Amino acid sequence: MLRNYMKIAYRNLARNKIYSVINIAGLSIGLACAMLIILYVKDEVSYDRFHSNVHNIYRITRQELDKNGVKGTKDPNTGFLQGPRFAQNITDIKYYVRVQSGNVNMKQGAEVKDKDLLYVDSTFFEVFSFPLLSGNPVTCLNNPSSVVISEDEAKKQFGTKDAVGKIIQLKDDSVFVPHVVTAVAKKCPQNSSIKFDILLPFKESKEDASDNTNWFNFFLNTFVVLNPQANISAVESKMNQFYNGDSKDAIATLSAQFGDDVLNWNSIYSLQPMLSMHMSTDLPANNGLSDASNPIYSYILSGIALFILLIACINFINLTIARSVKRAKEIGIRKVIGGGRKQLIAQFMGESFLLCVIAFVLAIVFVQLFLPVFNTLANKTLALSYLFDVKLVGGYILLFLITALLAGFYPAMVLSGYKPVQTLYNRFHPGGKNYLQKSLVVFQFALASFLIIATFTVFQQFNFLTNEKLGYDDTDIVLVRKDFKSHDEAWLFKNELLKNPNIISVAPRNGGSWGTAAKLANDTTMQFDYETIDESFLPTLKIPLVKGRNFSPDFPSDSANSVLVNESFVKQAGWKDPIGQTLNFWYNNKKYSIIGVVKDYHFEPLNKMIRPQVFTMKKNNPYGQVFIKIKPNTAASNLSYIQNTFKQLFPLSPYSYVFMNDQNLKNYEAEAKWKQIMLFGAILTIFISCIGLFGLSVLSTEKRTKEIGIRKVLGASVQSVVTTLSKDFVKLVMISLILAIPAAWIAVTKWLQNYPYRISMNWWLFMSAGTLVILIALVTVIFQAIKAAVANPVKSLRSE
Amino acid sequence: MIKIKDLEKIYRTEEVETVALNKLTFNVNDGEFVAVMGPSGCGKSTLLNILGLLDDPDGGSFLFNGIEVAHFNERKRADLRKRNIGFVFQSFNLIDELTVFENVELPLIYLGVKGTERKERVEKVLDKMQIMHRRNHYPQQLSGGQQQRVAVARAVVNNPKLILADEPTGNLDSSNGNEVMQLLTELNEQGTTIIMVTHSEHDARYSHRIIRMLDGQTVTENILV
Repeated sequence: MLRNYMKIAYRNLARNKIYSVINIAGLSIGLACAMLIILYVKDEVSYDRFHSNVHNIYRITRQELDKNGVKGTKDPNTGFLQGPRFAQNITDIKYYVRVQSGNVNMKQGAEVKDKDLLYVDSTFFEVFSFPLLSGNPVTCLNNPSSVVISEDEAKKQFGTKDAVGKIIQLKDDSVFVPHVVTAVAKKCPQNSSIKFDILLPFKESKEDASDNTNWFNFFLNTFVVLNPQANISAVESKMNQFYNGDSKDAIATLSAQFGDDVLNWNSIYSLQPMLSMHMSTDLPANNGLSDASNPIYSYILSGIALFILLIACINFINLTIARSVKRAKEIGIRKVIGGGRKQLIAQFMGESFLLCVIAFVLAIVFVQLFLPVFNTLANKTLALSYLFDVKLVGGYILLFLITALLAGFYPAMVLSGYKPVQTLYNRFHPGGKNYLQKSLVVFQFALASFLIIATFTVFQQFNFLTNEKLGYDDTDIVLVRKDFKSHDEAWLFKNELLKNPNIISVAPRNGGSWGTAAKLANDTTMQFDYETIDESFLPTLKIPLVKGRNFSPDFPSDSANSVLVNESFVKQAGWKDPIGQTLNFWYNNKKYSIIGVVKDYHFEPLNKMIRPQVFTMKKNNPYGQVFIKIKPNTAASNLSYIQNTFKQLFPLSPYSYVFMNDQNLKNYEAEAKWKQIMLFGAILTIFISCIGLFGLSVLSTEKRTKEIGIRKVLGASVQSVVTTLSKDFVKLVMISLILAIPAAWIAVTKWLQNYPYRISMNWWLFMSAGTLVILIALVTVIFQAIKAAVANPVKSLRSE
Repeated sequence: MIKIKDLEKIYRTEEVETVALNKLTFNVNDGEFVAVMGPSGCGKSTLLNILGLLDDPDGGSFLFNGIEVAHFNERKRADLRKRNIGFVFQSFNLIDELTVFENVELPLIYLGVKGTERKERVEKVLDKMQIMHRRNHYPQQLSGGQQQRVAVARAVVNNPKLILADEPTGNLDSSNGNEVMQLLTELNEQGTTIIMVTHSEHDARYSHRIIRMLDGQTVTENILV
């Protein structure tokens, strides 16, 4: 029996090539998408699971608490004290480990390289399960001059993984200090939030460890291991209890210095399970931790994959039922000679299973082929070896069964219900008005239109982000990073560079982004972004001043007494006349007066709101980078000049450069990837919807052959026949647009709200997406319609 | 074998009611060969469908081998049908995707006959119908006469007590038509009851008795033997 089913299923597939190709292509693409997304999601949820006691590892996090007890922003970062103090005083905390990001200059042969690293406590390998190739996990970080490196780093540095006992020169202040390699670690798993090539013992002075004001410094991640039986909320409340007692003196000290505002700096401490860190949106894995992800990506990707698979299943259902006219005779015969309904259902299910098996195998091939592309798109390093995971194989088998059932069950029920008396005597007119088929087509195209509109929006927003005026000129600017020991050192470099006539100007600035707070004259405290520059910064980047003046060498006291602020600062401070106002910096309790107001510019990517900014030339604030404006089209010669100058002046510092506009573009890498993913998704959904529509138009034309013949005999033109045949489908596509547009409007509006600077929703965006969908659908059906319309009516009528 | 009394079948659409069988009454004995004749639309095919348990009547009684089957549900009808009745159609109704052998084998598969026995029985009946050399061909590769012989082979492979033939020669030329009638006669001589709907006086003469119908009723019965 089974053999008979499979035989006839196979022959049906082979005979009806168009439908087989449409169904197999659609289903295999749909399944491949679903498989890739399952891989993606599996990888996402597998983050950090490899640590043997991951269920007991938590990160200490905090939430701001003001003096009125109102909770503020959540912060995943802690400081010197939280780990050791909590661990000493709460018995349920077995270990703590602090993880602080940093970078260091390292000698590699004759060169000096800038390397990222992590400073960690010696308990690192007891808390986390990173296997060592050599070295003792318990003692390897005990000695302050020890270093643990990854196998990759060992190979780079020594050409061998066997590096224990070898010496690495790391720069400490201005001298290179030898560090002994005490352990070599295996490469960190790709699904790890902690990734390192170099680990150094955590640096902490006695003063750091005993100064209670350090309760208010948050710059690293602290992890703790709890007893398996520990009650989390009990531990949390003990933490807060201890903190409130232990920080009292510090608050008193600070209040004396800065007033009541200090009372706003309090925290409530919580424990975040390590497993929820990777996809946390409010407490992300940052500050030295890697790959922080947003679950929305998983949802969007899963949504797209589900759309595609669903559309492919709908194709299968629609085409199978539309084809049933042709199969009705077979069904009648089988019933007449003794086939029962159950046997027929089994037969049709068998056919859908066979088709799904073929699609499934093809899908695995597709996954193999497209995994590298997908990895680039999704920023992953997924491997097909994941496929051998038992749960994943189980998931895929489930996916296969659901697909086969989804696609096969309904047609099987319908087809097996045909009455032989009708099918065998040509009295058979299935489907009636075909509401189901029509609704499914509408559903398909609504999904496809939704994705197309979403894609259009993503493209528009991306163009906006990358082309919007930033408020400064980032062209022809070379950025060179270096931690200058003093302003004079930076200016020495600047003056050397300016000897080249092709270099227009040079402006130093602090490295990274700084922020601090200051008190205004009316005693309110304001937080702001804090920039250390010199007088050439604004002209170099062509940032205009709206009021007052720039820093100037004519006013030598500028570096000691003056600051500039931006428009947002003025607005937030509520000043009518900002020039001459003063700021009292909380950390040194010194007043600075405002000499100028800088026009707001996007110093951060456009997905962040412009915040208040204060510019200073304070001598104690170090410069960390220089902006070098060069003449257009002189990059090649200038770059080597800049490098040579740098090497001459700072032979022991690593040199690297980047063009500022390239760096700005990098800010939108995530958007660029999503743009591509949406494009792929939209193309696939519209493609699969269209091959389904094509199949339906072939069948509908076949069904209407006689009608077309009669119309033509009665004098219908080719054009009118084409219109008759196409208009029904186009009508359906238009209905789907009516459904898709409001849904898409809501979705994209919501998405755009993530961006403080965004495009406005335009009717033409929807119009053009709609027109595109209708055009694609029309092209799909019109081919068949024309073929039928130009056919000889005599033939079609005779064959009836 | 068959006793029908006051059999009724009415087709209803939204606006029209068509009486296909109007209190039809007749009997068919075991081993008989009966021809049913009449103009288009007189209810012949409806009658055949009810006799073949493909359709149910709207009224009256239908005894098959002494069992009242008029109101059997679909599962019971299908079961009775596959054990007792074979069909031969004007348009052959072979499954295009199956070979000659597989078409003939199908009723045995549905009956649950084992593979080896199936092969034996199919080959025997193909041999008898002189179509063995075409066993691996598909229906569309055969002539009309050959296709109808395959259809007859399929109808008799499970040794039914009754064969219902709906204009079995309607799509055939006269020599092929005669061959098929010859086959049916032989089957009848071996004991199978045959009821045949036909337009052809020539074919009807192969039967023992002709029932003539008009407007859903029998008008005359001619006994030929």
